[in-house]
This record gives sequence, C-alpha cells and structure tokens, in this order.
Amino acid sequence: MINLLTRTVMMGTPLLYGATAEVIAERTGMMVTAIEGIFLVGAWAGFVGAYLSGSLSVGFLFAIIAGVILAALYGWICVYLKQHQVVTGTAINILAAGLCSFLYRVIFGVPITPLTVSPLPSIPIPLLSKIPVIGEIFFDQNILTYIIYFLAPLAYFVLYKTSIGLTIRSAGENPEAVDVAGINVYTVRFLTVLLAGAMGGVAGAFYSLGYLGMFATNIIGGRGWIAFAICFLGNWNPKGAVAGTLAFGFAEAVAIYMQSIGGVAFLPNELFIAVPYILTIVLTIFRKSFNVPAKLGLPYIKENY
Amino acid sequence: MEAAFFELKGISKYFAKVIANKDVSFAIRRGEVLALLGENGAGKSTVMKILYGLYKADEGQIFKDGQEVKINSPKDAMKLGISMIQQHFSLVPAHTVTENIILGNVHGVIDQKSAREEIKNLAERYGFELNPDDYIRDLAVGVQQKVEILKALYQKANLLIMDEPTAVLTPQESDNLMHFIRDFAAQGNSVIFITHKLKEVMHVADRIIVMRSGVVVGDLKRSETNEVELSKLMIGKDLEVLNKNAKPKTADQQPRLVLENITVEEKSGVPALKNISLTVKQGEVLGIAGVSGNGQQELCEVICGALSPTSGKIYLDGEDITTSNINERIARGIGYVPADRGRYGMILQMSIAENMLLKTSFDKKWQKSGFIDQQKLNQYTLDQIKEYSIKAPSPDSRAGGLSGGNQQKVILAREVDNGSKVIVLDQPTRGLDLGAINHIHKVILEERAKGKSVVLVSTELSEIFALSDRIAVLYKGEIQGIFEPSELTTEKIGLLMAGYRLEEVSKDA
Amino acid sequence: MLDKVRDLIITNFLAILLGIVASGIMLLFLGENPISAYSILITSVARDTYTFADIFVKATPLMFTALAFAFTYKANLYNIGAQGQFYIGAVIAVASSLFLQNIMPGWLALIITLILTLAGSGIWGAFIGFVKAKYNSNEFLISMMSTYVALNIMNYLLRTHLMEAKGEYPQTDALNTSVWLPKIVPGTRLHIGFILAILACIGTWVLLYKTPIGYRIRVVGYNAEAANMSGIDAKKLYVLAFFISGALAGAAGFTEVNGVQHMLVQGFNSDIGSAGIGIAILANGNPIGIIFASILFGALKVGGTIMGQMSAIPSSIIDLMEGFVMVFVILAYFVRNWMDNNREKRKLQKAVVQ
Repeated sequence: MINLLTRTVMMGTPLLYGATAEVIAERTGMMVTAIEGIFLVGAWAGFVGAYLSGSLSVGFLFAIIAGVILAALYGWICVYLKQHQVVTGTAINILAAGLCSFLYRVIFGVPITPLTVSPLPSIPIPLLSKIPVIGEIFFDQNILTYIIYFLAPLAYFVLYKTSIGLTIRSAGENPEAVDVAGINVYTVRFLTVLLAGAMGGVAGAFYSLGYLGMFATNIIGGRGWIAFAICFLGNWNPKGAVAGTLAFGFAEAVAIYMQSIGGVAFLPNELFIAVPYILTIVLTIFRKSFNVPAKLGLPYIKENY
Repeated sequence: MEAAFFELKGISKYFAKVIANKDVSFAIRRGEVLALLGENGAGKSTVMKILYGLYKADEGQIFKDGQEVKINSPKDAMKLGISMIQQHFSLVPAHTVTENIILGNVHGVIDQKSAREEIKNLAERYGFELNPDDYIRDLAVGVQQKVEILKALYQKANLLIMDEPTAVLTPQESDNLMHFIRDFAAQGNSVIFITHKLKEVMHVADRIIVMRSGVVVGDLKRSETNEVELSKLMIGKDLEVLNKNAKPKTADQQPRLVLENITVEEKSGVPALKNISLTVKQGEVLGIAGVSGNGQQELCEVICGALSPTSGKIYLDGEDITTSNINERIARGIGYVPADRGRYGMILQMSIAENMLLKTSFDKKWQKSGFIDQQKLNQYTLDQIKEYSIKAPSPDSRAGGLSGGNQQKVILAREVDNGSKVIVLDQPTRGLDLGAINHIHKVILEERAKGKSVVLVSTELSEIFALSDRIAVLYKGEIQGIFEPSELTTEKIGLLMAGYRLEEVSKDA
Repeated sequence: MLDKVRDLIITNFLAILLGIVASGIMLLFLGENPISAYSILITSVARDTYTFADIFVKATPLMFTALAFAFTYKANLYNIGAQGQFYIGAVIAVASSLFLQNIMPGWLALIITLILTLAGSGIWGAFIGFVKAKYNSNEFLISMMSTYVALNIMNYLLRTHLMEAKGEYPQTDALNTSVWLPKIVPGTRLHIGFILAILACIGTWVLLYKTPIGYRIRVVGYNAEAANMSGIDAKKLYVLAFFISGALAGAAGFTEVNGVQHMLVQGFNSDIGSAGIGIAILANGNPIGIIFASILFGALKVGGTIMGQMSAIPSSIIDLMEGFVMVFVILAYFVRNWMDNNREKRKLQKAVVQ
C-alpha cells in the first residue's frame, strides 16, 4: 500500500507540472490545447538531449526549450493571430507527433534494441525520509518531485497574493479591464503560454527520463490531456490541481500495480488501464459548479492599429 | 494665450468598413467641462479612445500644454493624467472592488490591508458609499460606475473622460453625477463626457463639441447656444415629428394580454418578478419604465415564453397560455424584439434570409417536401428589405455586416410579422441614430393602429412618454404603479424608478 | 465576392504547398533528396490502377471521421472522440458479421451489420451529447477520454471474446467472403464503402444546408442563446448531433472491417480520428470540401507508404506533412482575414480621397 502511495506521488508529479501550468495559462483565457504535443516534444527532446550528452540535466534543459518553442508557436497563432484555440492545438499536436517520430528516426535511425538512458534516481532526503510512512511516500522521490513541492504552492501564492497574479486572473475574466489599466493583454497571455511550454516540457521529459528511460512515440498516451482535465476538475485553482493530481496519480499507480501482478482474477487489465480516463469522464460529468474564467478560449480582439 | 490642457489636431481614423474620424480638432482647458455631443455612430467614442491610447490614429497629433505627446497605450494616457470610464465598464465582475481598483496600480506582493484603507478613505472623501470587499457582480450598475470613477481618482487623473455615463442611471443618480463633475472641475481638473442627451449637455457642460458622421460640425460655448441649434447640428436635417395623438385613442378595446400575479423566483431566493399584474388592450402601447436590471428582461421572457413563472397566469385573448412554450406562443402571434439583439435576436454569421427563418423554422409555410423553400424565403426577405428600407445588397448578405440600425430593422420586420397579436420590444432604439429611431417609432405606432398590443420596455423616458398610452414603472421586479402619461412628471417617474413608494412620491409631486 | 473565392483557393493551395515544402526540408535532415522523394511520391501514386485506387480506399474512412468532427463542429461542439467511435463501430461490425455470416445471405448480413454499427456507435457518441445537454459537461474532455476507454474495450474483446479460434494473436478470425463489401473496381481494393462515404458527405451537406433541422443545428452552433430564445431546443439537438457524429465515425469501422481488413486487428487505422479533424479543418467544415481534402490525405498516405517502401524514408513523413499542412491552413485563414480587412480599408480611403 505504501508502495502504491509512493507511486502515486511519483506518477502524479508530471501531471502536477502540467496541470499547474495549465491553470495559470487558462486563468488568462488561453486553453492550451497543445499540451499533449508539448508533453510529447518534452519527452522526445529530453531523451535526445540526455542520450547524446550523457547528462540528464542537459536532457531536461532540451525538454524545456522544446516545450517553449512549441508553446510559442501555439501562442503566436492563438494570442497574436487570434485563431481558434481548439483547432490550432489539434494541428500542433499532430505536427508534434509527426516531428518527434520523424526526427527520432533522423537522429537514431532504426535501432535494433531500444535505446535507453538511466532514469532519474530517487533521492531520499536525510532525516525527513526516515519518518515512518510519510517519509517513504513524500521524501524518497526524485528531484522533479521535490521541485514541484515548491512550485505548486508558489503558483498559488503568486496567483492570489501578487499583482501579477491579479493581472493573470483579470485577463481571463475581462481582458478589457486589463487593457484599460494599461497592461498588454497579449503579453500576459503569451508569457503564461510559454510557461506552460516550459513546465509541460519538463512533465513530458519525466516520462522518458524520470521513469521509463526511453522514448516511444506513444509514451505520453493522453497524459497531457489528463493534466488538461485536472485543471478543469481542480476548478482552475492550484490547490484543486494538487487534489486532482493525487487522484489521477493514484489511479495510474493502481493500473501499473495491477499489470505487474498479472491482473486480478476476473477484472481485465484493460479496465485498470482505462480507470484514469473513466475517472475523468465521471468527474467531468458530476462536477457541479465551475469557476470557469469568463473569457476562456476566446481571443482578445480589439480594433487596434 | 495660455495653451490648452489638451488639444487634438487633425485626428483621422479608418476602420475596415467605415471612416470613424476625419480631421477632428478641438481643445479642452483646465477646469473645463466639455461635452462631446452626437448621434450614435458619429465617432465620439472613437476619438476619445484615441486620446486614451486604446486606438491609434491614422492621422493627426495630440498636444498637452502645448507640447506634442504620443499616446500609444492606456499606460501613456494614464501617465499624462488621463483616465477613461467606458460605457461598458471595464470591471471584473468576479473580483472585489479593491481588486478592481488596484489592478494595474500595484506591484509585487499585494498589501490588501493598506489598499482597502486607501480606497475607503478616497470613497469617503468624495461621498461615495462603497464597501471595498464587495464583489462587482453583486453591485447595482450605479454603484459600479462609482467604482470606475474611484479607480480614476485612485490613479490621480486630471482629465476624466466618460462615455455615455448616464445611460444606466436614474434621473436622481444622473443629478448626483453632474454634481460630482462640477465639483471635480472646480478643483482644476477637466472632464470630457460623451453623450447624445441634449438636456445633460445644457445642464453641466461649459463647451460643446458636436460631431456628425466622423466630423466636427460645431464647437460652441454652452452660453451661446440652445437645444434646437444643437439638435439641428447633430442630425443635419429636420426630423419628421410624430404625433401619437393623431391616431384615435383606443376607446373600448378588449384586453388582449393579461398578466395575473406573475412571480418569478430565482435560485437565490430573491424573486426577479414579484406579483406582476398588468393588462394590455388591443391597439394599446404599454410603456415599461425603469432602470435596466429591475426585471425587464425577465418580464419580456415571461411574456414570450422563455421563462416559466413560479406562480401566476398569463392570458392571451382570454386563453390561458401560462404553460405554452415559445413555439406555441410564436404560433399564437407573440413577437419579441430583445434588448441584446446580437445575443438573443439574430444570428450575425448567417444571412438576412436565414435570420428571417429564426423563429419559424418549424412552420410548414417555409417547407417544401421536407426541405427549406429557399425561393419563398428569399422573396419574403426581399419584400421586407423594400418595406423597411433596409440597406443591404441582397437577402444573402451576412447579417453581421449590416449597421446596427439595419440589423434592428431586420429583427423588427420579422417580429412585426410574427407578432400578429402582441409585440414586445425591449430597448428597441438603443444605440441607433435618430433616423432609425424615428422609423422604429413610426412602425410601433402603425402596429398599434392595426390593433396589436405593444409592450415597450425602455430606459429612454422621452421615448416612453412619446409612444405610450399608459406607463408602468418597474423597480426590483415589482410594478410601482401604472399611470396615464399626464399623471407623471419626470421627477415623479424618476423617484418611482429609484424605488420610492407611490405614497411617498405623491406627497412631494 | 469573387475576390474572396479566389483568395480562398489560392491561400489554401499555397498552404498545402508550403506544408509539403516544409516536410521536404525535413527530409533534408535525413540526408534524402526531397525532390527525388517527391517525384517518387507522385509517380508511385499514378503508377498503376491498384495504387491509384488505393487513394480512394484510404480516403473512405477519413471522410467519415472528418464528417463526424465537422458535424458537431457546426453545432459548436467538439467531438474529439471519433477514433473511439470508430473502434466501437469496428467492434460491432466484426462481431455482427461473424455472428450473422453463417446464418443468412451476405447482403442481408451486411445491411443488418451496417444498421447495428450505426446505431451502436451513434449511441456511444450520443452519450456525450446527453451529458452535455443535461449537465453542461465539457464534451471536449469527455469525448477525448472516451477514445481511450473504447480502445481498451476493443483490446479486451480482441484478447477474449472476439479472439480468433487459433488463440495466437489479439485479432479476430477472418470474415467469410459473403460479408465482404463488394469491390467496385476489379483488380483493386476499392470497395463500395467509398460510394457510401461520398453519399454520406453529400447527405450531410443536404441535411445541414437544405433542411430545417440542419438549419437549427447551425443556429445552435452559432448562437445557442438566440436559439433557445427562438424556441429551438439546443439540448435535444446536442444529443442528435452527437448521435449522428458517432454514427458517421462508426461507419468508418464498418467500411474498414468489411471492406478492407475483413477482420479486426489491434492497432490498425490508429490515426484516422486525428486525421479526420485535420481534414475537417482544412475543408472548413464543409462536407463537400471534405471529399476533396480526404482524397488529398488519402493520396499522401498511399504515396507516403510507397515512399517508405522504396527508399529509406520513414512513413512518419505522412504525419509530418499532415501536421505542417494543417498549421499552414490555419495561417492561411488568418492571412485571408487580414487581406480582406485591408482591402476594405483601402477601398474606404480611396473613396475619401475622391
């Protein structure tokens, strides 16, 4: 059971990176529908960087850069060119899939045995990791998890207690108010999208570098979308994102566990694999009240210049 | 000569489909109150948005105290001491008064406590009653406007630009606003307010700039002009005067539309409509006066069938239609011209012909063996275009490409046809130029003469008085009273609109 | 008006061209000569009847999934679950065919199978419309997730109840030839499903633009509030739109199972859902445009596969081309708007000068 909870925190980490960034971007009104593609290029760039340089840090750096570049494309088209966010995101996800698959081939050819790197080691924190139960679950994880322990509360603090946070939240509710106050709405939106690119890139790289140690074209398998869903279900609040992440992380940990023990008598493996997705559907249907940012998904158009 | 506080020289602005401003030039002095007068679409808002940095002029210059300045964004404008309060407030409904005022005015970590203190003090100084922790969405429109003004004061503005500030206020609230403007100007600050209401202009402005079709046609001192001259300048021609009483008064006409004790409960428990009872006879116009947001929308929706009353009954020509749905009511001849035409009344992305079909797509008359009879629809549309003088190239033209006035004509044409018995109109002339307004008033009186029952909801008292046979005043969902126009003065109706009970008002009137 | 049509054709053509050029540049990274690669692409596509006909074979399921996305898009709804509805349709088609193939004549089995497929995948899709109508749930997320659920259902069934008699691989037995869709061009793989797809496109177009109910769906798509105020029940239409959408995607399952594969295996046609979205976007949601865009994508697929066989170019070049073309089409949309606005502005300024 403890193992399961430990796994929960571990599998939840990339989801929380993605969900937190998605919350911030969506608060400005941008539905980063390219998040699945961002995760994917993060996974790909992370692996390529790590494999070629021999250093995981370089890998993660590559992942961040790749994520930011893809996010910049999405941001340019949706924020500045004011195009449709769902359509653009879909196009970019398809492009990302094509690019990753193709470029992997370009760089590595068709290897006979899959290429691997050693994944992130878990780093037990001295003293804290010795605490019974809690120590094992929370303080014997890899560095990315420790980082998100700071980033998530930081996101909450910035969003609700600082001027930037107020601006971000206002941009999604009434961008005109922000514009009239003299702040460039486009800049605010674009920057939060780039942030989503950076954090999403790290999240994607978690799968290739932090967990599996390899890259495959289906490595993300919809988890970018789960981070997207967590943002919704968490009511656009970093606190909600944490709650949602734990729920999904747990579901995924259970699925992995079930597969490793060969399944449970009459319940098929596929059921456990499908649990996170079914969970999303059920929660989406039954969540009663949402604090949707009023202008989510709508480009800010003013007849200017 | 002392240089003007601010001066605009040769401002021109072209949009995709219209010339908004052409060679606009005028100046404002410190301590002066300037009225920017003109019909809707004259270009007043545009030139002010240029001054505030929201738009960029295609030609022209701006000067402050004789020096040229470049205003490329609201930030630049604010640095120069300019603040603008728009017609549709730039407030975030989901945030508090404090959060709205400090937006863009704080940096780093927010010190909630001191911000609230400052705002409280500022509000007291100007006599505004505001609670810094209230959410904007819970505040009445008049109070929201105060928040906007407070925001400008917080930013230490010296030039305050206000766009149609009294559009959403009761007569008394308008008076208060005028007082504030005079006080503010007396302190050496300047105010430019945009309006199309002549009375306000004559009450509070020092100077008046009249604009028409994007051009300045008059720059006058208030003391040197009068309403008639201003009106002529605004329109450019003489208006056809409508005389309602030229038509015979409706003598013993039958009651057609009857609402009996209609109550609509909201989820919050507060009723949107409370015990509404009214009767509209055949061939009668019943005017509904009141400040926006006091139940007008709900009243219209209850009549047309979009909203089910929690209790009460509705009768049409003696038949109980309380449980009839929208389609049934359309079939019975109830037409509805909504206040928010783009949102509820038409589909901007579709053609004019397709918009004609909006309420009657279920009707067999438009169908030919299961498919839409396009020919019939097009012919009908052409007929309407001719009859209402709608400026559009063809029935296939996109509705969104028409001007506001022409869009309203499309909706009016359709609803007048659908409304063979009752027509409900909510703010039918808002945002339209005087020519279009005149035309719509003419249509309303024509339909009245045909024996239809007309419910006219409007915040423009002049319109209500000009067209109504009887006037009902709506306040917080309740009818304050139903009167003959001769029983009411502007002051009396203003008090009723503000919630004073009939007994209190009668004492003073 | 003519200006606009001209702009539409030119910008889309350029978009496709740029997409192909961009992919060509990527080929350079592989050390391949894009010009020779593309010549192989073009010649191979026109090589022989079989290959040429295969374009339309590939286009068939794409037309269905593109229609599925476009149909709900017209109602301002997002059905991202066409891939999953396709899987459900395929499962029903193969199960029904296997069951019926021995107990009735082929043509009857096919008709019943088609009806079951449409109904089943339609209901699978309608569920999404139902929760959208009743709870205002986010259909984007639900439809997206439903694909993964459908995938797992299919994998489970292929591993157990539908598995082949041999029990070796997760796939079904092959279907009797009696329940194979008849071919329309002998010597090729082109089957009657292609005609079905074309009819579906035309039928969708007629439904949307010539009937009252199609009109109402479009009204709801443009402005649900005005629709409700006009007595149009948006909620009922949500369910209907998703039912039709799901059925269309499911039809792709029927055509692929009974027309091409003649069985059901794991992992086949795994990208027709997303390609369908791309095609719908390219055609701007117009059912007739979808016919052409699907054929274009079909050609890309066939050519890309052959390119992969003849040279060292990976088949992922197809995905790359699709992705680039889609991005450029979105940019083309922006460019057209921008050109249109400028044109109007210049007209105005000219009028002023005179």
